[in-house]
Order: sequence, then C-alpha cells, then structure tokens
Amino acid sequence: MASVEDRRRITIRLTILQYLITVVFSVLAVSFWVLQVVQHAKFEEMAENNHQRTLALRAPRGLVLDRDGKVLVENRQSYSISIVREHTKDLNRTIRLLAAVLGIDEAGVRTIVDRHRREPTYRPITIVQDATLAQVSAVRARRLDFELPDVVVEQVPTRRYPETIGAHLFGYVGEVNDAQVAGGEGGLKSGDIVGQSGIEKVYNAMLMGQDGAKRVVVNSVGREIRTLEEEQPTEGKRLQLTVDIDVQKAIEDGFDSLGFNGAAVVLDPNNGDVLGFTSRPAYDPNAFAAGIDRVTWASLTSDEDRPLNDRAIQGRYSPGSTFKMAVATAALQEGVITPDFKVHCVGSATFYGRPFKCWKKGGHGTMDLRHAIEQSCNVYFYTIGNMTGIDKIHKWATLLGLGEKSGIDLPNEVQGLVPSPEWKLQYRKEKWYAGETVSVSIGQGSVSVTPVSMAVYAATLANGGTRVTPHLLKAVDDGSGWKPVPPPAPRSREPIDPVKLQAIRDGLWMVVNQAGTGHNALIKGPDGKPIHDVSGKTGTAQVISNQGKERAGKTDKDLRDNGWFVFFAPRDNPQIAGVVFLEHGVHGSNAALVAHHVLDTFFAKKDGRPLPPRPELKANLVP
Amino acid sequence: MFERRLYYHIDWALLLAILALCGLGVAMIYSTTSDPTRAVSRMYITQLYAICLGLVAMVVMLTFDYRTFTDKSHLIYIGLLALLLYVMFFGMVQMGARRWIPLKVFNLQPSEFAKVGVALVLAKFFGENRGSPSWTDLAIGGALTMLPFFLIVKEPDLGTAVTLLPVFLAIAYLAGMKMRILGILALCGILAAPIAWRFALKDYQKSRISTFLDPSQDAKGAGYQQIQARITVGSGGTSGKGFTKGTQGQLRFLPVAHNDFIFSVLAEEQGFAGVLVALGLYLFVILRALEAARLAKDRLGSYLVLGVLASFTFQVIYNITMSAGLAPVKGLTLPLMSYGGSSMIATLAGFGLILNVRMRRFTN
Repeated sequence: MASVEDRRRITIRLTILQYLITVVFSVLAVSFWVLQVVQHAKFEEMAENNHQRTLALRAPRGLVLDRDGKVLVENRQSYSISIVREHTKDLNRTIRLLAAVLGIDEAGVRTIVDRHRREPTYRPITIVQDATLAQVSAVRARRLDFELPDVVVEQVPTRRYPETIGAHLFGYVGEVNDAQVAGGEGGLKSGDIVGQSGIEKVYNAMLMGQDGAKRVVVNSVGREIRTLEEEQPTEGKRLQLTVDIDVQKAIEDGFDSLGFNGAAVVLDPNNGDVLGFTSRPAYDPNAFAAGIDRVTWASLTSDEDRPLNDRAIQGRYSPGSTFKMAVATAALQEGVITPDFKVHCVGSATFYGRPFKCWKKGGHGTMDLRHAIEQSCNVYFYTIGNMTGIDKIHKWATLLGLGEKSGIDLPNEVQGLVPSPEWKLQYRKEKWYAGETVSVSIGQGSVSVTPVSMAVYAATLANGGTRVTPHLLKAVDDGSGWKPVPPPAPRSREPIDPVKLQAIRDGLWMVVNQAGTGHNALIKGPDGKPIHDVSGKTGTAQVISNQGKERAGKTDKDLRDNGWFVFFAPRDNPQIAGVVFLEHGVHGSNAALVAHHVLDTFFAKKDGRPLPPRPELKANLVP
Repeated sequence: MFERRLYYHIDWALLLAILALCGLGVAMIYSTTSDPTRAVSRMYITQLYAICLGLVAMVVMLTFDYRTFTDKSHLIYIGLLALLLYVMFFGMVQMGARRWIPLKVFNLQPSEFAKVGVALVLAKFFGENRGSPSWTDLAIGGALTMLPFFLIVKEPDLGTAVTLLPVFLAIAYLAGMKMRILGILALCGILAAPIAWRFALKDYQKSRISTFLDPSQDAKGAGYQQIQARITVGSGGTSGKGFTKGTQGQLRFLPVAHNDFIFSVLAEEQGFAGVLVALGLYLFVILRALEAARLAKDRLGSYLVLGVLASFTFQVIYNITMSAGLAPVKGLTLPLMSYGGSSMIATLAGFGLILNVRMRRFTN
C-alpha cells in the first residue's frame, strides 16, 4: 500500500541511519581500543592502587635480659588508631567523627593530622597510641558500618618495663623525630619508634627489628578481603645486659627506703660489668612507650629535681673525703711517703699562711696512712697532698678514673674535673696557687666527679690499677643463639704496688670494720660475724661554703651536704665495687646504708643465702 | 492469527543475537553480584525469570498481527498514562524516586513500557498520513510524546524520559520530516540548553554534567564514578581479568555494577575482545532490525520498527559510552544486559513487535 515515493524515502533514510549507527559503533570500538589497549598500563596501575594496600607489620624491639637471663624489658601488644588519608573523601568529617567516637579533643586530632599533612597519603597518621579496648571497639564498629573506612586499627608491639627500675639505664623509646629522620640513621622513617635515651638509644640499631609488610586486597570501603602477600616482621636482637636484677632492685629499694635523690653505680671491678645503675629521681619509662602525653612530659621537664637527668653520668659533684685515696695513691706511688708516714693532727694546720681545719676539732693526734684513711683526717691529707704536688695528684686521680669519662655505653656522659695548673691556665687564665693543692687534697676546691667515674675509681682501687670501662652489654642474640660481647678494653692499666695498695685497702677496711664512718656498710653472716671484708670510704661534701650558707640564711633551697660512699668487697679479692651518692644526704654514712643492702644482696646471692628483705633504712639527719 | 508458514519467516538470527546478549548479561550479573564475603546473591536467577517472562511477552507480541496492536494503540496509550499517573501517586519509592508498582514477583516499572507504547501510538499516528508530516502533525506527535515524558520526569527519572524523544524523532524522520525542521529542532535544543541549565536541571544533574567536563574537579564525589568507569574499562586490557576476577566491579569501586555499569564490568573481565563481541552483537541486532524496517510491507510497520528500535539504540549507545567514562553518568541501563525485569520484558516485547513486522511482511 505504501506509495513508491514513500518506499523510496524510507529506504534512503534507513540507509542513512545504517551508516550513521555503524560509524557510531566504530567510534565506540576505537574508544574502547584506546582505553583498553593503548592506555591499559596506566589504568591497570590505577586499578591496583584502588584495591591493594600495604600495611606495615611493626617489628617488636628486642628483649632485654639481665645477666642471669631474667627479663628486664619486654613488649606487649597495644592498639594504635590511625587515619590513612589515601582514600579519605572528607578529612574534616573523618576528624570530627573520629574525635567523637574516641572521646578525645577534636583540635588535638587536627593538630596531629596537620603535623603529618605533607607526608605521603598512604602512610597512616597515628592519632591514638595504646588505645583503650573501648576506643578500639568503637572504631571497629564504625568501620563495619563503613563510616570510617579511612581509619585503621593497628596492633603494635609496645615496650614494657615490667618493674619501674633502672629508668635511666634502659632509657625510653619514642617516635623518631625529624632531626633523626633527616640524620638518616639506618634508614629511619617517620613514625618509627626508636630509643631516645639509655640502652634503648645506644643499642637502638640492634634492638629495632625489621618491619614487615602485608599486601591486602580491600574493597571500595576499605575492608580487607584477602591477603596477597605477607612479609613477617623480624624481631629486634635480644640483648643480655651485665646488670644483675637483684643488685639493681637492691639499689632501688635502698633509695626508695631512704627517700633521697642521688645515684649509684655498682661494677664488677675485674671486668667493668655494670651490676647495677640508678639515678634518682627517676621516671616511668612505660609512660613513653606508647607516646607520652603532654601533661606528663611537661611535668617531667619542668620538675626542679630534673628526673630526666641521669645523675650517674651527667651529675658533677664535689667528691669530698672520698678523694683522699687518690691523694694517698699519688703520694705512695710517687715515693713521697710510705704507708708508715705519720702526721700529727691538732685539729688544724697552716699552709702558705692560711689555716686549714680538720673536721675533728681536737685533732686526731699522730697517725699513719691506714688510720688517716680510717679517721678521714684532713690534716694528714693536707700534708701529704702538699708534699706530693698537684701534678702528681692530677696524674694519679686520672689513672684511677676520676675527672675522665668512664666510657660507659650510655648516651651523653659528661666529664668530671680534677684540676691541674694547665687546666687553670687554659680555662681560668690564672696561675695555680699552692694553697689550692691543699684544698684539692681533701676533695674540695674545683674537683668535681660524676658518680660513674667514682665507681670506676672504686673498681681501680679494688683491682689494683686497671681502669676498667664500665659496660652494660654482655651478649647479643640475633636469633641464632647468644654471642657474648667481649668487655671493652680498660681505659688504662697502671699497676699499683701491692704493698702500698694494701695499706689503702686496709684503711678502707678499717673505715667499715673498725672505728670509721662506714660502719653502716658492714655485712654480717647468719652467725652475726662480719663477712666478706667490706671496705669503703664515706665522703660528705658541702654543696655551699660555710660563708655562703650563712649569707643565704633561711632559704627553701636544700643546702644540706651531699653524701658519698665508695666501696668494694671483699678487701683482698674484690668482686664488687661501686658508689652510692645521696644528694643532700647529710652524711656519707647514710649512703653506706644503701651500700649495705646492695652488698648484703650481692653476697647472699653468691653464698646461696636467701636474699635480704626490702630494708627499712633510717637516715641520720644530724649534720 | 498465527499461521504455520509465518513460523518460517521469524528472524532466527536476530532472536539468537538477542538471546546471546541476554546470556552475556546474566553472566555479568552473576559475576558482579557473587561477593565472596557475602552470601551468593540470587539476582541472576531473577534476571533469568525476567528473560522468560520477556520471551512470553515476545511470543504474545508475535502471535497477533502488529496492526492489531497499532489499531488498539490509543487504548494502550491511555492505559499507559493511567499507570504512570498511578505510579505518581501510589508508586513505591526507592532511592529517592517513585518509579515502581510493587507486584508479587517483581516491581513493575511502567516507564519502561512507555517506550513501546509511544512507539505504537506514534507509528499509528504518522502511518495514517502520506507525505511529509505537517507542522500540525509534528505538534500532535510531539504532544503525544511529551505527555508521558513529563509524567516520567516527575518521578523523577529524567534518563528514561529522555529515551522517549528518539522514538518521536526517529518516526518523524522516517515519515519524511524535512531535514530543515530537524535542523531547527537541533538548534532549539542547543539554545534551550543554557535555559535548562539555569532552571530545569537539579543540582545533582548539573554537577554530573560539569564533572563530566572535568572529572578531576570532584574526584571523590560525582566525578568518582566516571573515573572509576574508565579505570574499570582500561584495566581490562585486551583479554580481560577473567570471569569474576575483576577487581573494580567485584570490590565495588564501581557502583551499581550489575546495572548501569554492566558493560564496564564486561570490559574489565572479558577485555577488549569481549567488548568487540558485545558491540558486534548490538550492532548486528540494530542493523538487522533496520532491515526489518526496510522490509516492512507498509509504512506503519517501518515506523513501528524504527520507533521501538530508536529508544533501544539510543540507550545502548549512551550506556556504552557512559560505561567507558566518556559520557556524563546517567541512570540509564543497558537494554538486554543490565539487571532489571521491567526493562527486559519491555525490550523483548518491543523486539517481538519488530520480529512481528518482519515475519508478516508477506501477509495482507
């Protein structure tokens, strides 16, 4: 019925449509060819970035054990909550929601995010370290609802210090800072946890493990579907320290009981093994393990007692009478005196037109070296020090370990000072006065020492002249078994004549066992008789001169004297040597109280006796 | 009614190509909805039911002479308008739009059937005239199209509504509308665009278009789907990632993968090879149907075939372009492949009419 004209028109117009559609389909085919064949590589990569994520598997730091294999520092699992911005659609919304879910301050979260804003977006920004279980489950619930797809909960091994002992010894860990990353120490990257102090810092490279990684497939809302590959983290190396946990605890208990600040270092005088090491006041290293909060940090840094300061290696104090053995050694070794050399003390003596007082008003009468040490007679040491001269005193004090860095494997040790004319000329631009030698002879004047150098001093006297290097690392286990670390070489070796040395040792033995001031350090066996021939010397050093004290009048500042006790035992074959320093401890005999507990513990363990209970020490506060 | 000899005139090749596309669609629906982390979805089964129902509809459409349908087209048209009105007031709301009438087995979407209805009524209307249509004819034909158009726009479902326009244009074109008028209409469309932009389009529609022009300006929002579509297609490569091995669709980086973006998933999992096969099948179906229009024994048949084919072709081309991230994202499904019962039934019914016209080219 259709007219011819209609038929023709329809045929033509349909043909046009045919060609048109064929062209359109050809264009489509070419477009797909461009996308799928020409640009395939680009899109394939984009698709992979879309659905694959690399998650870091944090390596636990190596365990730290004591010399008997008891755990000193370990790890626990904690959860950290982080934002991964890679697929964040609205960062503000995420921050707002996350702060609300976690119950924390939104501004704080924003600050953290801002600090890391310039880092690659795939790197998680940790918002909460050591999150509570409530926080973790709150976030997980939201993740299931796809509300916070860009927030991840990571399980992170976190440092744990089971007993809050040896804070300054172990140090603490913290997130690597920008300077450390820039310094490029062993490829550290932002977010790494590194040792910031103590053993954690010195042996960080060993303790840090190798982080692993997990490549996972995630869906569009960030849920993990399956794991593609997994590289297990390698745990850090295990370290065995020279520290004896019982000795360490004994030191800490002693300080806790007495309540003084100060420091103590206990060594094996034969090789420099550090058996115990403390500085008071201390901090809790656990507070740093999962990121220290601002309040705690502020209170630590603003505390006038400076708990972060390691007094044992960074405090410099006047040694007082404990310096007398250095003077005695110099005088003996340089042939200035013999042990039988006698001085008559009447309570004071005059040198270079100036009177120098003995601590005992009436004087000690005539005494030899042994008794001078026992009684700590100032006049005796004024006399022999003046005879010996500052150069020789300086030489022998240095050989014994004073005024030098000990070389202990802890960071930021400072050097003490044993003055010499050269030193005075160089730093004070002044000539040495002979009268200064007299003051130095009893450990006053510009002599200053660190507690650790005093421990070395005690060890050198104990072993007869070998200045051992105190060290903490005993063995390392990288997973293939323990490998002992040889002790570092002694700093110097200058044998002291045994006969002369014996005179000094006798004097020190008398300090503890006879009429001396170190009686507190005496240890007794089960039968009540003294054992192990404890030898030592107290020192009581003014923190301010008598005149200064008067000028200061009534003040809030603690102006009480510092107390020292250096010791070793047994006298003739020493196995332990060390020092206890009490800041404002009033008298060295109080320091001997702590030393007593340490020695008692050490020898009880050695002899197989039960360890002494926690002591209840009572300091003598009468100056 | 159905004479035995007509059976031999059924275009089996076209039917086979259609069924092949349906099969491809079912396979892709299976692939995108079988999420290993969840229970196996039964969407592909639903789709199989829809195909069966569609084939029944197709048979119904074949059984009667197409003129029977065009004769009754005014009734069909009125019924259609009634359904659309019913949806407007009592329809089921899903994803912010009121498009469905809930039935027991599936949800009926009358707008899908509007395409066939409009094709019928326009074929009848233009088929009654000889010579090129006058302005009055065009106005009436336009009005017949715009009535359901506006009802569907109000649902709102701009995408489906727009597919009605090719029906009108194609039939008018074939009926001999002057090319000049076509030009004028095109010009009007271009001039109207800024006005539509200003007044008619909703914000989300505007943002879809503006992000199409520069997807990166809103890579996480409206531009997201477009970028993901390109990644999906591009990452497929020559031979694809393999059945159910696609990451973009499987892990839901691409939304509604079993629906609007089913072709992207095909491109991802079967690669350029699969794309060529599917494109070839669609091209074959369209050209074969155009053939039916040419062979039709009367104008009415030609117009009817082209009317049905117009919205189909428009939708296929637009959806595939969008699947490759080359057109603004619009909720337009891919006929024969996308998941959706109403669309499948309406499309197969439409092809029933096309087969019908070809089959009866020799009858009186």
